[in-house]
Amino acid sequence: MKYVILIHSNPQPWGHPTSDFIAEQQTQSPEQREQMNAEFEAVLTQMQESGELVHGEALADPNTSRLFRWKAGEAVVTDGPYSEFKEHLAGFFLIDVADQARAEEITAKFSGPGETVELRPAMWPGGDDQ
Amino acid sequence: MTISDPFEDVWRREVPHVLGALVRRYGDFGAGEDAVQEALLAASQQWPPGTGPDNPRGWLLRVASRRLIDARRSEHARTARELRVAVRDRVDTDHAPAADSVGPAGPAGPAGPAGAIEADDSAESADDTLNLLLLCAHPALTPAAQVALTLRAVGGLTTTQIASAFLVPSATMGQRITRAKATLSGLSPAGARFAPPSASDLPDRLTAVGQVLYLIFNEGYTASGGERLMDVPLAREAIRLTRELRTMVPDHAETSGLLALMLLTQARAAARADAAGDLVPLEHQDRALWDRAMIAEATSILEVLLPHARVGPYQLQAAIAAVHAEAPTWADTDWLQITVLYRMLDGIAPSPTVRLNLAVAVGMAHGPAAGLEVLEPLREEPALARGHRIHAVRAHLLEMVGDPAAREEYLTAARLSTSVPEQRYLNARAERLA
Repeated sequence: MKYVILIHSNPQPWGHPTSDFIAEQQTQSPEQREQMNAEFEAVLTQMQESGELVHGEALADPNTSRLFRWKAGEAVVTDGPYSEFKEHLAGFFLIDVADQARAEEITAKFSGPGETVELRPAMWPGGDDQ
Repeated sequence: MTISDPFEDVWRREVPHVLGALVRRYGDFGAGEDAVQEALLAASQQWPPGTGPDNPRGWLLRVASRRLIDARRSEHARTARELRVAVRDRVDTDHAPAADSVGPAGPAGPAGPAGAIEADDSAESADDTLNLLLLCAHPALTPAAQVALTLRAVGGLTTTQIASAFLVPSATMGQRITRAKATLSGLSPAGARFAPPSASDLPDRLTAVGQVLYLIFNEGYTASGGERLMDVPLAREAIRLTRELRTMVPDHAETSGLLALMLLTQARAAARADAAGDLVPLEHQDRALWDRAMIAEATSILEVLLPHARVGPYQLQAAIAAVHAEAPTWADTDWLQITVLYRMLDGIAPSPTVRLNLAVAVGMAHGPAAGLEVLEPLREEPALARGHRIHAVRAHLLEMVGDPAAREEYLTAARLSTSVPEQRYLNARAERLA
């Protein structure tokens, strides 16, 4: 089953890994940060080796976005960001795992203070006829 | 390897036999698999276009054995150098007979002295393929790894073909296969032979093989007819492998039951999508499109099987599919018999999904109110709570009793579904009730 893990974050300044630029994480003790990093790296390595990680990308500053909105029969382009909310889409991972439980286990390791991580099932083109 | 590869059929037929023989002789699955891939590459470069050698299996086996032994020798030599221990004598003694049997003429040479390497009779080959299937379904592997390895080692598919069938990049699928091979290699001491499972383990291991083949089948079947074009028909591949497995274990009733179940399901393939590619549920399928030959084959398997065998889950599911197959219309279906069969299935392999199907059957046999009664306790079932199916079934039953709450249930089911055609179907049902 395929899922997308969406990292909603607001690093200041914008940068990756986002955890280095988020106040809530900067104020953690070095030991805490190191432990979280190590756990994240471990699960990432595990997913690469098992073939559960399909793809991942870190995204550029939302201010670099270009927004295409349809007006009077043509696309009108403006500068981003798309969302006025505090958090923006900072990166995503496409995973292919056995079940929801495994997806949630992985996503827990992607989360941290000051960020929201969203786990969302991907649609698939097949279906059952029963 | 593309569809136009003139030797593709040869690869697909011979790979499990060649790999099986290597695993039997030399034990190491991972190294054997690498050697077979190298032999296939050599064949694609050396066989004259259009005509292969007279005995392609012997040719591939000779080349693959030579590659395996060469790889082992260099591996051993390196180890010996690094560790500075004098083990080489023993290593050479261990492997000399097999190495000699390849013959001095070399892999690409004429027939050459072949010795024991070509003495495979078909019974031994069948055992090899069975052992490969058992190995690929090893309990140490994840289901995803079992599936990938089976398709590659027994099905003879390339990593790229498997990746495209499962809609993941080749690199991802390659990683799964590499990991699976490493896991298997890690299970046995270096160079040790993989002992076939003991007689007492065999039933469980055969069950695991059946599960892998059924996973492959379902992946192919549920994907067919939709928006997705497959260049490798996984459902047919699963049927081919199950058919082969059945010839190796003719007395294993559940393997026969699984083959019957696959055939009865695949028989509906042409009817399960309309011209626009939309999913057509069983209820509305044009039964004239069902493949009668497949149904007849499955029915004859079941007729022999059911009176004699201790009935297992695949046989029961096949029996249910057979009741559908013999009904001229959805309304004419013998729902009472299906109800009885689902109750038996719930007895030997209880699961929330089976009880959900039972609710459908009861609803058809005894009326929607009775079906809703069976369904009611399942609404608390955590295994079903996040899925769309229970809402879809409840929506159908509510619609049948004329309860306007059906619409909201259809919409809930549509929201929860992650299948594009199912979601479209469920939204359309809700729309009709608006």
